[in-house]
Order: sequence, then C-alpha cells, then structure tokens
Amino acid sequence: MVALSNDGGSHKVSNSSSLMLDVQGVHKRFGSLEVLRGVSLQVTKGEVLVVIGPSGSGKSTLLRCINHLEKIDSGHIYIDGQLLGYREVNGRLIEEPEARVARVRATIGIVFQRFNLFPHLTALGNVIEAPIHVRGLSRQRAVEEGSRMLEKVGLADKMNVYPSQLSGGQQQRVAIARALAMQPKLMLFDEPTSALDPELVGEVLEVMRELAGEGMTMVVVSHEMGFAREVADRMALMDGGQILEEGPPLQFFEAAQHERTRTFLSKIL
Amino acid sequence: MDVFLAIRFDGGAVTEFFFNDVILRGVRNTLEVTILAMLLGTVLGVILAVMRVSHSRPLAGFSAFYVWFIRGTPVLIQLLVVYNGLPQMVGSDAFTHFLTPFRSALITFSLNEAAYMAEIVRAGIQAIEPGQMDAAKSLGMTNLQAMRRVILPQALRVVIPPAGNEFIAMLKNTSVAFVIAFVELTTAARLIYAVNFKVMELLVVASIWYLIMTTAFSVLQAEMEARLTIVERERAIPLTTRVLRALGGGRER
Repeated sequence: MVALSNDGGSHKVSNSSSLMLDVQGVHKRFGSLEVLRGVSLQVTKGEVLVVIGPSGSGKSTLLRCINHLEKIDSGHIYIDGQLLGYREVNGRLIEEPEARVARVRATIGIVFQRFNLFPHLTALGNVIEAPIHVRGLSRQRAVEEGSRMLEKVGLADKMNVYPSQLSGGQQQRVAIARALAMQPKLMLFDEPTSALDPELVGEVLEVMRELAGEGMTMVVVSHEMGFAREVADRMALMDGGQILEEGPPLQFFEAAQHERTRTFLSKIL
Repeated sequence: MDVFLAIRFDGGAVTEFFFNDVILRGVRNTLEVTILAMLLGTVLGVILAVMRVSHSRPLAGFSAFYVWFIRGTPVLIQLLVVYNGLPQMVGSDAFTHFLTPFRSALITFSLNEAAYMAEIVRAGIQAIEPGQMDAAKSLGMTNLQAMRRVILPQALRVVIPPAGNEFIAMLKNTSVAFVIAFVELTTAARLIYAVNFKVMELLVVASIWYLIMTTAFSVLQAEMEARLTIVERERAIPLTTRVLRALGGGRER
C-alpha cells in the first residue's frame, strides 16, 4: 500500500496498522564484514520483544539501524507504518534529508549500554535538553515534564546532580527519563544493564518493567533472562546476523526449536 | 691589570623607561592585537574545525588545505604578504592605505591563529566519545544542534589548556610584526635604544613587560580551567597550587 504525501514523494506504508516496527530483509555491512544478513521482524504496538544472542551477532547494529544511527544497505524498516530514512519517488528510493530523519528519531527512544548522559548538564538538564531544543517546549514546561519523568524513575531528589556524581543504576535511570521526555512511540534498549554492578541492575529492570506495564512498545537486547521470562511478550535469538528463532518466552525456555537457541540458553542459564 | 669583564648596565634606565610613553604604546598594541586576533582566530578556528569533521568533502577538504597552508608557511612571510605583497598586486591606493600596520598584523595573526585553533578544536571534538553524538542524534537533534549543544560545550573544556598556550605563544610572536612597522613592544624597545644605545636596559624593560602579560594570562587560564571543571569532589584546589600549575605550560613556535 502506498500513500501520497504533499511534497510529491510517496511514503511506503506497510500493510498492518497495528505494527509499530516492521523490519524487512535488512542487510548491513561494515566494509567487508556483513553484520546483518537479511533480518526481518515485526513488533506490534504495546509489545515487548527481547532479543538475545552471542556478542557479535548484530543485535546492537540492528537497534542502531532501527533508529537510523546506521544506514542499512538493503531492506526496509517501517516505524509506525512509515518507511524510515527513505521515500519512494517514481519507484525509486531517495534518501530523506537529515532534518526529516532527525524528526523520526525523536519518536524513537533508545537507552544505551554506557548511558551516554551529557556530563556537562545536571540530571534535569539532560532530561530537558531535547524537549526544549527539539520539541520546542518552553523551559518552564520542559522542567515540569522533566521533573515528572525523573520522579517516575525514582530520582526526584537528584535533579540538580551531575552524572559523575550518580551511581551507574541512577545514571541509566536518568537516561531512561531523558528518552521518555521525548514521548517516544517505541523504546529501544541496548543491553541497558550490562555495564552495571549486579546490585544496581534491579532498579533499572524495575523501571523497564513498569514501562512495559504501561503499554510501551519495547525492543530490548539483554542477557537478563529473568526479565525476559517475566516481561517479554516475545523473544528472538540472533546469531551471525540472522534471527534464528522467534517466539513467546515459554517456547524459548522450555521448548526451543532451534539447536543454537538451546545451546546458547544452556550456556547462560 | 685591566678588568676582563666589566658589566655596563644602567639599572636606572630600566626604571626610567619602564613607563615610557612609547613602551606603554607598545604594550597596548601588543595586547590589543593578541586579544583581538585570539578572538577572531578562535571563532574562525571553530568554524574550520566543524568543517573539517563534517561529512561534506569540499568543506573538509578546504579546511584541511587552509590549515596545511597557513601552518606550513612562516608567519613572517604571511605578514609581509598582507602588508607588502597584496598591495603590490592590487595596486589601488585605497587598498594600500587601508592596510595599516595594525590592521595587517590583526588580519595576519587572526588568520594564522585560526589554523592552529582549528586543529586544537578538532582534536577537542574528536576527543568526545562517539556515544555523545549517538545520544544527541537519538533524541532528535540534527548534526548542527548536537554540535552546538552537546559536543562543543564539552570540547571547550578540553580545548582551554592548548588554547591558552596558543595565546601566550601569540603574545610573544607579535614581536615579529616589527617587519611591517607595527609598533608593538619589541619595536618600541628597539626604537628607543636606537637613539640612546641602552640596548640591554630596554630589552630588560620589554622582557619584564612580556613576563607580566604572560603570567597574568596564565593565572587567568588556570582560573578558567578550575571554573569549568565539573566539581567531582568538594575540595577546592588552593590558589598557589593553581598558579604553579599554570606557570608550567607554554611553548615556542
């Protein structure tokens, strides 16, 4: 199905309107190394997908392609029905200008393994920066909303504190608040707890659990199997740039179909 | 027996000429050109640095060429080109009159400093983790927004020490502008001793003034660094320690 837009180009629209994310046949190579070899997956609105797999399997790259931090070599990615990064003009795909892509990126939140907080800004400063300069909110409104976000992740008392003065778990929660302040439709998590001390993992997973409970569409790359078992609606195993198995957590943990899935799980459980 | 070595030095002349009008004019000119050239050079340097790291081949190429060319030729030649060479080629009286020694020095030192600042700022930008750019872009910022709000503010902190060194180097480099009849501090000293032959005394006067200016600036730089460092611990570094650290830097070009 193809929809025409005002500027004469057309945005390819995918078939099902309940899909938040539709990845079709994505290939990505870095130099001579093919990192994604034809990855396809679909995530419906409100669904939580947990992606597991060995390192180097392309999980991070996949997330980075979903919010167009990396450009894909072939395939299509649809975010809430809209083709990402390109528009179709007379049957050919033309790259979207940077400003357009930036706007789509604003609707996708991502939380990184190493937090990537802005060290020169306080926690509140981090959270309100994009709402002010990208969403165009007034400072007052941004501070109101930002404070609420920080309260939501349990850091209301740390608003004027700098990242370097926070623990890892606190920093990651600020990062989540910062992403949420942009009111995203889709949240991506790239091994959000892998860089944390074990005691701090729980507080971050708790925030993620609540978020899932509120109906946020989430794609989470993680090794936290407890979280996956309890919160995921579906899981996927990635290896060698491909998705080998997909299904509900129960299937993964009790009746995995692919041999690689069973081997992988046996090593980490 | 004749004394082998007699020190002829008139200490009184040092105090006599320390606040001499011509000397003070020299001090003022030196400071003016240095401060203005650093400001202009830094602004231009930041632009060149952003060009250099941009994805646009022509912009990056031009920036690289500019830096290579300006850093590859002596500032002395650049001064002579601006003051003498260009007027010769352009041939118009108005143009020649426009390029007074002060303006020529200012233009040359600004363009020169821009090339060095471009490299310093570029290194500062590239010192920032790529994760910062990722986070900024992921929040919906364009490249330019990310540069302005996230990357450059952080790069600034990295850039201040080398930029401070540049300032001090430039302060002393202005002495080269004597070739275009610019009355900076060294020229002022030479003008005076050409008449009264008290060479060493006047050079001492000039040196003391240079020391005063560079030291004052070093302390200022240390203060700026201290202010911009995010306080990780509550302990403040005592002033004497900051001053001693500040005086340790600087380089010759």
